[in-house]
Amino acid sequence: MEQAPPDLERQWQPAPLEPLGHTDAGLQAAVGEEAEGSRDEVPGDGTEHALGLGVLMTENNFGLKKIEISVSEAEKRTGRNAMNMQETYTAYLIETRSVEHTDGQSVLTDSLWRRYSEFELLRNYLLVYYPHIVVPPLPEKRAEFVWHKLSADNMDPDFVERRRIGLENFLLRVASHPILCRDKIFYLFLTQEGNWKETVNETGFQLKADSRLKALNATFRVKNPDKRFTELKHYSDELQSVISHLLRVRARVADRLYGVYKVHGNYGRVFSEWSAIEKEMGDGLQSAGHHMDVYASSIDDILEDEEHYADQLKEYLFYAEALRAVCRKHELMQYDLEMAAQDLASKKQQCEELATGTVRTFSLKGMTTKLFGQETPEQREARIKVLEEQINEGEQQLKSKNLEGREFVKNAWADIERFKEQKNHDLKEALISYAVMQISMCKKGIQVWTNAKECFSKM
Amino acid sequence: MSGGPPKGLPSTGPHSLLDMPHPLAGSSSEEAVGGDSTPSPDLLMARSFGDKDLILPNGGTPAGTSSPASSSSLLNRLQLDDDIDGETRDLFVTVDDPKKHVCTMETYITYRITTKSTRVEFDLPEYSVRRRYQDFDWLRNKLEESQPTHLIPPLPEKFVVKGVVDRFSEEFVETRRKALDKFLKRITDHPVLSFNEHFNVFLTAKDLNAYKRQGMALLSRVGESVKHVTGGYKLRSRPLEFAAIGDYLDTFALKLGTIDRIAQRIIKEEIEYLVELREYGPVYSTWSALEGELAEPLEGVSACIGNCSTALEELTDDMTEDFLPVLREYILYSDSMKSVLKKRDQVQAEYEAKLEAVALRKEDRPKVPADVEKCQDRMECFNADLKADMERWQSNKRQDFRQLLMGMADKNIQYYEKCLMAWESIIPLLQEKPEAKLAPIWGNEETTWCLFTTTVIGGQPGSQPRISKRCPSSCVHCSIVHNSQDVEIT
Repeated sequence: MEQAPPDLERQWQPAPLEPLGHTDAGLQAAVGEEAEGSRDEVPGDGTEHALGLGVLMTENNFGLKKIEISVSEAEKRTGRNAMNMQETYTAYLIETRSVEHTDGQSVLTDSLWRRYSEFELLRNYLLVYYPHIVVPPLPEKRAEFVWHKLSADNMDPDFVERRRIGLENFLLRVASHPILCRDKIFYLFLTQEGNWKETVNETGFQLKADSRLKALNATFRVKNPDKRFTELKHYSDELQSVISHLLRVRARVADRLYGVYKVHGNYGRVFSEWSAIEKEMGDGLQSAGHHMDVYASSIDDILEDEEHYADQLKEYLFYAEALRAVCRKHELMQYDLEMAAQDLASKKQQCEELATGTVRTFSLKGMTTKLFGQETPEQREARIKVLEEQINEGEQQLKSKNLEGREFVKNAWADIERFKEQKNHDLKEALISYAVMQISMCKKGIQVWTNAKECFSKM
Repeated sequence: MSGGPPKGLPSTGPHSLLDMPHPLAGSSSEEAVGGDSTPSPDLLMARSFGDKDLILPNGGTPAGTSSPASSSSLLNRLQLDDDIDGETRDLFVTVDDPKKHVCTMETYITYRITTKSTRVEFDLPEYSVRRRYQDFDWLRNKLEESQPTHLIPPLPEKFVVKGVVDRFSEEFVETRRKALDKFLKRITDHPVLSFNEHFNVFLTAKDLNAYKRQGMALLSRVGESVKHVTGGYKLRSRPLEFAAIGDYLDTFALKLGTIDRIAQRIIKEEIEYLVELREYGPVYSTWSALEGELAEPLEGVSACIGNCSTALEELTDDMTEDFLPVLREYILYSDSMKSVLKKRDQVQAEYEAKLEAVALRKEDRPKVPADVEKCQDRMECFNADLKADMERWQSNKRQDFRQLLMGMADKNIQYYEKCLMAWESIIPLLQEKPEAKLAPIWGNEETTWCLFTTTVIGGQPGSQPRISKRCPSSCVHCSIVHNSQDVEIT
């Protein structure tokens, strides 16, 4: 269940304070599920997720402090939306606890309810304000890539539970990010229930958002794209397509596997019916039938566990989009820069033309000059002055854009490097936990068939 | 009934000898069972049975003519019979080496049949002949004709829809070879059928077709007698014992049919699962091409899924080749059993009809006429044979299904073990990789965080922390004392 938190803690390490409390590692959680013996170490299912605490350190009025975050509950609610229409939604309880440095004990500081749309708002805000950061994705809004037995209903308890885990994971990812964790809006999201939306909107982040059309325009017009970003964009496209293909096939694999197991369940019934007419063979058949029932029902848990693996992959499917957003932003900035440079160049040329009186290129200005006669030297002086001012301004702008761009590339690349490390680590852990799941499935299979064999041997 | 008179003589020798003990052995239970049902004919039957017991050695009935054995020698035979069922086998038959024959008229497969025997009926200790399916079919018909009171093992289905199944494919021929081998083994193991003359000829004759032609002339007469029996007489009451067998067979065939369908469905599901797996594995390979550090783990997972697919394919092949044919054989077996049961009913019907006729003629004569007695004898023999065969079949069935189902469990265990091995083998691959990468990352001064300190396990306050990944001892960011301990996966 808690695959993500440990990774978060890992990323958390660079923070200026000493490392914090240790929670269950993802690997261990998976192993714990596999080895029955170690199950006892983990508290009961109901409280398990409470362990998945991430830690946020935040600088605010109170100075630096450590906070543990968890999304501990989900609740179905009905209310009225902006259009005064009846709507049903799920609210999630976010609990934060401050951790005392000295004894490592945590004290509940706050708990508040948020709904999915508020998470979305938070993420949109982060996207705008931190364009150079690969902003952690939210869990899917609607269930996708699920095998047919799982409900795609948004109110389905399993879906809500998986989303709860996903939202908690999102908060932990943000909290453990070296830059995002210091954001005030994020801190308020965790601690201030009322007026939060207004506060976010006051930041005017929506105005700063780049329009999609502009970004698209930039994609096609940019002349000198950074090769690294082009490659990264290509990579995120490929990653997205391969993961979505993988998820689709995995869902089908799960479907088929489900079929194989469930059809075995029919043996349970027919063996039991057959045993009724047999003398010596009866008992063996009857109990073997029981094992076939066990076999058939074991697939439910197996596939449920596998769904967590799918969720881990899904997170990276959505991360691919976040990666692309950074690339898009870079393209846009590059395009702006190129446009500014072009503008400046044309202004310089105009200025030169005016100064020397030669018209190198055919222009409207040249035409008017020819038609209406030469302008007075005063007029020319004035125009040259204006142009020179504009050129100055443009040079300043270009300089700052260049600087900004360089800064962006530097920051973005640092975060991308961080992201790559995180991704490699997470996915490796995910693959390990997947392998562990498969091992556990094989062991279960061997166990059931060994039991059945023993029954058959007594026939 | 017991075969064509001239042909039947040599074979009825051992046949009747072995046959006789059954009426004797079965007499007590027969009496008990008979006593429960309709009283008048059964009482008569029980009485006359006692009479017959005395009359028999005198050669009063045709069945007895060829067996001048006393009850003691019969008992000896009975014991020997048991021995054959147990350890001392003296006849071994195997079917192997299928060969395809292409003629202008037809294409067919022949199988080599090797016989080894110490029996006196065989002139040579070893024979090797080639036979085709038709010959097996002929043999089975002959056995059914000459030993109508016995349960003849089934042959694999003859009819194959052309085009759907390739009759000459290796798998089909091998499956059929196994089934034919089983068929001959079942006859070989049978204390009566294995002495059948036709069987002997089948195993030894160089030119079976010549023998077949020779038998054709006689066939017409036998056919008549069979037709005669198929009268529409309704049976007054099937003895409880046989009624139970009939009921049993009905349920058995039904359940077996269900199991057959389930098994086929499982194979179908598994094949579909296999198709998906075959697509699933390569996706990891595609992904690995995009990645640097993750390439090897992803490739590992891909290979692992490939191994599992292979194991699954073996499982479905094994189930198709070994599991389904046995189920089919038993479904066919229950059919042959039902047809023998029907024949038995006919014999009883004939007897009852005759008995009724006698009763109508009143007690003109104090003694039951000879033909009625003969008829009763035949029924008794039939019952005894059938009961013995049924018992033998039951014990065979128990053995076979025990083996079959254990085999199914074994195959599944093997499948899971192969998958288990594959997945376990990639765990180190998934874990080792970060260590190899660790040094350069760590050597880089600019890296400001430690990647490997956080997968700390069991982090409850007060508990001893365990580090899951190796972390260089020079790590300044971790407050934890590092030990180079790898996580264990158990």
